[in-house]
Amino acid sequence: MADEDRPDIETVFQAHYERIARVIARVLRDPSRAEELAVEVFLKWSRHPGAQGENAQAWLYRVAVRAGLDELRRETRRTRREGVTRFLRRSPTPEDIRASKEEQEKVRAVLAAIQPREAELLVLRSHGLSYDELAGALNLNPASIGTFLSRAEQTFRKEYIKRYGRE
Amino acid sequence: MDGNSEQWVEERLAALQPNSDWKPDAARGLARFQQLRDKASHRTRRWGWLAAGAVAAALPLMAFPSTRAFAQRCVSACVDQSNWVRDVFVHNSRRSVNIKPGDRRMAPDFLLDDASGKPVRLSDFRGKVVLLNFWATWCAPCSLEIPWFIEFQNTHRDAGFATLGVSLDEDGWSAVKPYIEKRKVNYQVMIGNDDVAQEYGATSLPTTLIIDKSGRIAATHIGLCSKSEYEADIQAVLKLE
Repeated sequence: MADEDRPDIETVFQAHYERIARVIARVLRDPSRAEELAVEVFLKWSRHPGAQGENAQAWLYRVAVRAGLDELRRETRRTRREGVTRFLRRSPTPEDIRASKEEQEKVRAVLAAIQPREAELLVLRSHGLSYDELAGALNLNPASIGTFLSRAEQTFRKEYIKRYGRE
Repeated sequence: MDGNSEQWVEERLAALQPNSDWKPDAARGLARFQQLRDKASHRTRRWGWLAAGAVAAALPLMAFPSTRAFAQRCVSACVDQSNWVRDVFVHNSRRSVNIKPGDRRMAPDFLLDDASGKPVRLSDFRGKVVLLNFWATWCAPCSLEIPWFIEFQNTHRDAGFATLGVSLDEDGWSAVKPYIEKRKVNYQVMIGNDDVAQEYGATSLPTTLIIDKSGRIAATHIGLCSKSEYEADIQAVLKLE
C-alpha cells in the first residue's frame, strides 16, 4: 500500500516543498534549518491521513508557519539565556553577519513576542497568501479575515514601537 | 491611520524576505524526506518483530510444565536480584529479620477456623516448624509465593514442618474458598481478623513468619521475598532442633 501512495506523496512534495521551506525561512535566520523543518513538516503530513487530498496545501502552510515560529521563539529564548554567558559564545561567522540584517531581526523579535495566532497570520500574509488561502490555512472564517488581520497588524505595530520606538 | 498602519506593517514584514541567493533544494529535501520515512517505518517494523518474537518465545515456555518451572525460577531469580539491589542500595530497608534462638519471643496464639470449619490453634503445632503466611486473594505478590509454600509443605512435611495460611480477605470464605481450590493449596488456610493481624504486625501483605518448634518466632519477612530465602530459613530452623 505504501508503494502505491508514494508517487502521490512525492508529487505533492515536489509541488509544495519550495514554498513551504520559504515560509519557514521567513522567520528563521538559518535557511538550512528552515529546509530541515520543512522536511519534518512533510513527514508529519505523510503520517496524517486527514491532511491528504485537497486540503494538503492549507495543512502544510499551517504546520509550517507554526513550526517556523516555534523554532523562532526557541531561538529567541536561547539567545536571551546565552546573553548571560555571552563570553562563552562562538564569534559570529561571516554568514551570521550577512544574515542578521537589523530590520529583519527586529521584525522577528516582534513576531516571537506577540500571540502565535497573530504572528502566523502576519507571516503567511507577508508570504503572499490571499484572504481565502489564509482562512483555509488557519481554520478561520473567510469573512472575518480582514478583521483578524487588522487586529494582528495593530498588535504588531504596538509591540514594534514599544521595543524600538517610532521611526 | 488604519490604511497607514497596514502599509507600515507590510513594509516591516517585507524585511522577512529570505536572501535572494538562497533557493530551497527540493531534490535534497526529497531524499532526506524518503530517508527519514524509511527509517521510521523500519523502526515500527522492527518493534513489531520484536514483540512477535517475545510472544512466540513466551508461548512454548508457558506451554510445558518443565519450561514453566524454568520460567518461574527465572522470576524467582529476578526477585532475588531485586531484593539484593534493595538491600545494597537502600539502607535499613531489609525487611527480613532472623532472630537468634536466645532472643526469640513466643508467637501469639490464635484460634481460627479452617475451610472445613475445623478450629485450628497455633499452639497445637508445638513440636513442628511452622511457616505462618498472612495473605489475601487480591494481593499479587502473595499469589506468587503460594506455589512455593505448597512445595515446602510437600517436601518438608515429614521433617516436622507445616505451612499455615491466614487470609485477611474482607469477603471471607466466599473469596478464599474458590481460590484455594483452584490453586490446589495443600495446607490449612484460615480466615484471620484484625486482632490476629495486629498481634503479628501484619500491616502489609504478604507477611510471613517462621515459628520454631517451641512456638517462638524465628524469622519475619514483610513483603515479597525470594523462595531461596524462605528455604534457607526453614532449613536452618529445622536443623537447629
